[in-house]
Amino acid sequence: MTFEAPKVSYSGKIREIPLGREGNTVTVGGESCYPFHLFEGEMPYPPKIAMEVYDSEPEDWPDTALEPFADVIKDPAAWARKCVDTYGAEMIALQLASTDPNDKDISADEAAGITKAVSDVVDVPMIVLGCGNVDKDTDVLKAVCEVCEGRDLIIGPVAEGNYRAIGATAIGYKHTVLASTPIDINLAKQLNILLGNLNVPDEKIIIDPSTGALGYGLEYCYSVMERIRMAALIQEDERLQFPIISNLAREVWKTKEVKVPESEAPLLGDVKKRGILMEALTAQCVLLAGADILVMRHPEAISLVKESIKDLMTGK
Amino acid sequence: MSKIICSAAIRGAHKIVGMAEEKYKEALKKWGPDQEIGFPNTTYYLPIIYGMLGIPVETLGDVRQILDKCKELVPPPVSDKVWLPYLAPALEAGMATYFAEEIIEAILYLEQPDFYTKAEDPLPDNIWLGAADDVIMRKRGVEFVDGTAPGFAAILGAAPSIEIAAKIAIELQEKNLYVFMCADHEGKTMSEQLIEAGVQVGWPTRLVSFGPSYRAAVFAIGFATRVAMSFGGVKPGDFKGNLYYNKDRVFAFAMPLGTVTDEWYANAAGGINWGFPTIADTPIPEVLPTGVCTYEHVVSNIPHDKIVARAIEVRGLKVSITKVDIPMSYGPAFEGERIRKDDLYFECGGGRTLGVELTVSKDMSEVEDGKVEMIGPDLDEVKEGDKLPFAMLIEVAGRKMQSDFEPILERQIHHLVNYVQGIMHIGQRNIMWIRVGKAAVEKGFLLKHLGTVMHAKNHQDFGGIVDKVQVKIYTEEEKVKEVLAQAKRVYKERDKRVEGMTDETEETYYSCTLCQSFAPSHVCIITPERVGMCGAYNWLDCKASFEINPTGPNQPIIKGECTEPVLGRWKGITDFVIKASRQKVEQISAYSLMDFPMTACGCFECVATILPMCNGIMVVNRDSMGMTPCGMKFTTLAGMVGGGNQTPGFLGVSKHYICSRKFLLAEGGLKRVVWLPKMLKEELAERMKPICEEMGIPNFADMIADDTIGTTEEEILPFLEEKGHPALTMDPLM
Repeated sequence: MTFEAPKVSYSGKIREIPLGREGNTVTVGGESCYPFHLFEGEMPYPPKIAMEVYDSEPEDWPDTALEPFADVIKDPAAWARKCVDTYGAEMIALQLASTDPNDKDISADEAAGITKAVSDVVDVPMIVLGCGNVDKDTDVLKAVCEVCEGRDLIIGPVAEGNYRAIGATAIGYKHTVLASTPIDINLAKQLNILLGNLNVPDEKIIIDPSTGALGYGLEYCYSVMERIRMAALIQEDERLQFPIISNLAREVWKTKEVKVPESEAPLLGDVKKRGILMEALTAQCVLLAGADILVMRHPEAISLVKESIKDLMTGK
Repeated sequence: MSKIICSAAIRGAHKIVGMAEEKYKEALKKWGPDQEIGFPNTTYYLPIIYGMLGIPVETLGDVRQILDKCKELVPPPVSDKVWLPYLAPALEAGMATYFAEEIIEAILYLEQPDFYTKAEDPLPDNIWLGAADDVIMRKRGVEFVDGTAPGFAAILGAAPSIEIAAKIAIELQEKNLYVFMCADHEGKTMSEQLIEAGVQVGWPTRLVSFGPSYRAAVFAIGFATRVAMSFGGVKPGDFKGNLYYNKDRVFAFAMPLGTVTDEWYANAAGGINWGFPTIADTPIPEVLPTGVCTYEHVVSNIPHDKIVARAIEVRGLKVSITKVDIPMSYGPAFEGERIRKDDLYFECGGGRTLGVELTVSKDMSEVEDGKVEMIGPDLDEVKEGDKLPFAMLIEVAGRKMQSDFEPILERQIHHLVNYVQGIMHIGQRNIMWIRVGKAAVEKGFLLKHLGTVMHAKNHQDFGGIVDKVQVKIYTEEEKVKEVLAQAKRVYKERDKRVEGMTDETEETYYSCTLCQSFAPSHVCIITPERVGMCGAYNWLDCKASFEINPTGPNQPIIKGECTEPVLGRWKGITDFVIKASRQKVEQISAYSLMDFPMTACGCFECVATILPMCNGIMVVNRDSMGMTPCGMKFTTLAGMVGGGNQTPGFLGVSKHYICSRKFLLAEGGLKRVVWLPKMLKEELAERMKPICEEMGIPNFADMIADDTIGTTEEEILPFLEEKGHPALTMDPLM
């Protein structure tokens, strides 16, 4: 008698969602098994990495993160180009951080202008993220949808407080929404139901169940993502069968551990290596929890994770 | 449907389709079939035709088939001898009317390209805007979907005076509605009246002067049709999808001001297809039965000062209030404030004066939304340290309101009043107590403002069930006594209703999966006699919660056949639990501790468990810190029960459930209880009394041991034996 490894039988499948403009689409989702359980099912599209671009020069980044982009840091369009041309980014994630009313509070029109400028110079699918303030995001993302008609953006965060306004606008201008909920499987599901009721097509929804950085609540976020995948794949919960995005870079790069210089904390070792590994490890964790799109910052962390994805996908 | 209305609508449709036919022939002669026609800057062609039929009308030649379709749709004129129901033919006539009008308007664009301004605002020499282009439609239409503008009022004709016109327009604007204006009454139009009154007209002010003819109504309907295609993902030609979308989401209605002609009737009948009712100021026949529209179809003879309120009610539009308009800050941050003697300016209730608060539901016609009446002196007429009797009567009405929801709304008064900065509220019903601080009075706070708060918050928090709220506040002794007498009657009825509600009398129970975020497989089943274990959700709360938030955590479950009356199992409940726990929990008994007990989240008020030596059950509440006879403290027990696990012998329960007739029925009910912490026993004493009497042991409470008797089974057993506790002689628990 030969040993046969027990296998999980799956009854559900994650939706396949094509992103970006026709001719330059990137498809995510489609899994019929747990992440990288290729002996049990299929993962037709390996997880993708979206490289971050900020709408204005970041003020609180450690040198490690600034260094690769030093020459383009003041120009979002050039920054995006560099991500694509130099680092081969598969997607771009434009963070409209300056729209935050508690920060620079730039206007919706200005943010839309920056978005347009970036979207004009890159062909890869583009994610546009507001600052997270429900009301401001409504204004900003509505304006973004309007000026980028036909660009098939992925816009978010769309939250319970603004899903109607942003969702409706996204339908009108045919963009994909990023449904964002605070680490809670029920809220994630409910928002998906609400978006469905609003008539947002299912092939236009990506979900963001929230991410913390390694050491900053990542395990809780991991559990929620894992449970979303379990519900989607083996419990036939079709309102959770959507690809997951993890907006992790901004979480990682604001932690103390990526900033404290080695001179102050010799035990923590080289600050550059430390930051890159913090990002790569956080990404690795959410990959294993089920993330389909990773929003990342440092090119070296990205290449580490890309390699890992390749290994996992080929079963090495 | 009224025969008069239908006959008129069908007559109107014949005239309009005939006119379109003529216009088409003329145009064809002049320009030929290849001439392009359409509305400016739109990808939706002639939008009603495109949306309903899926046919893009691009040239004059394309018009032929539409006119043929119109002729197919328009029924023959109604004869005196036929008494059939007329709704369907009238609706078809209305539909044909719109197709024909779109054709006429498209030809008008061809004949007189400058007839309409094709802009967002009127020009100095031309106020008629005509069809909205796609840019305007996207920008404005999104507001219909996200709720910033719930819909529109299509006004035909003109008001009797420019003052009334302006007043109606302002009232509609205040409700965030768009006002789409067309047609004239005796040569006057609403648009011109507004301009004469100095009101700014145009898309930016939401007062849209579409056109001088009744035919411009198609610009309004075409707008709605495009909204469904653009934002609803409705495909061209999916008329059903489009009409339902508009009925359910675009809160629009027609408001004819002035003589309703056959042509107007035809347009009104068309609007009903979209679920848009007609509210008229003239005494035309009414069509009251519901059916195609959400509520009534045609309501007439409404005075101008009531017409907006009535229209909103008939269309089922929810009033949204964003701000509580009082001179004080308002919010949960002020809930815990205490007003001490030194800060006290005024107080009422709390045993110092008579005080009562009451929420009752009334008929829609008996409540005037937003009306707050103060009967008796207010705070500006009393001096520091005064006391007055107080009664607050909140009268609500709503299409979905049920008298069962009254106590739920009334229970909100406590925190809603407390949210006002500088006010303290304690208690409820006729033991309520309000204290107003000096600082509040200095800022200009009046008792009347409590009414403002109740109006705003009931709309904000309970918009799902409440459409109208009016508040009366009394500080005159005689009036307060009257309200008090009314309140006592209502309380008595309510208590009787709750008392009379048993698990047997109701067919629907409710789920609560609020806690699945941390206890993923846990499902609470809430029945009339088993309150949620957190104590926060009873059956009525769940019922209301479902009305307010239909996709929320409280879902109705038809209980189905009762398979185990003593254990508390029903087929419908079992099926639901299996599904909602995602196959983790295969069975639950609502009334048993031992046999498939209900799972628990972590929020239970108390834990019940067995004491084998005493052959009984003990219950310990969360606030009790000490050791219990089972050898575990509450915190340890909580770990055994929570997290959605099914642990026979351990159960999370609410305090209320302990005094329910269904409390652990399978194990013998309250009679099994041998130990409670003293604090819990005292808290439950009053509620336990009637149950003890029913059990035939009126002094049963004295037989229950507590932490003053002992905290081990060995310590309490002699006490139970001495008292002759019934559990000792009951069937063994295990």
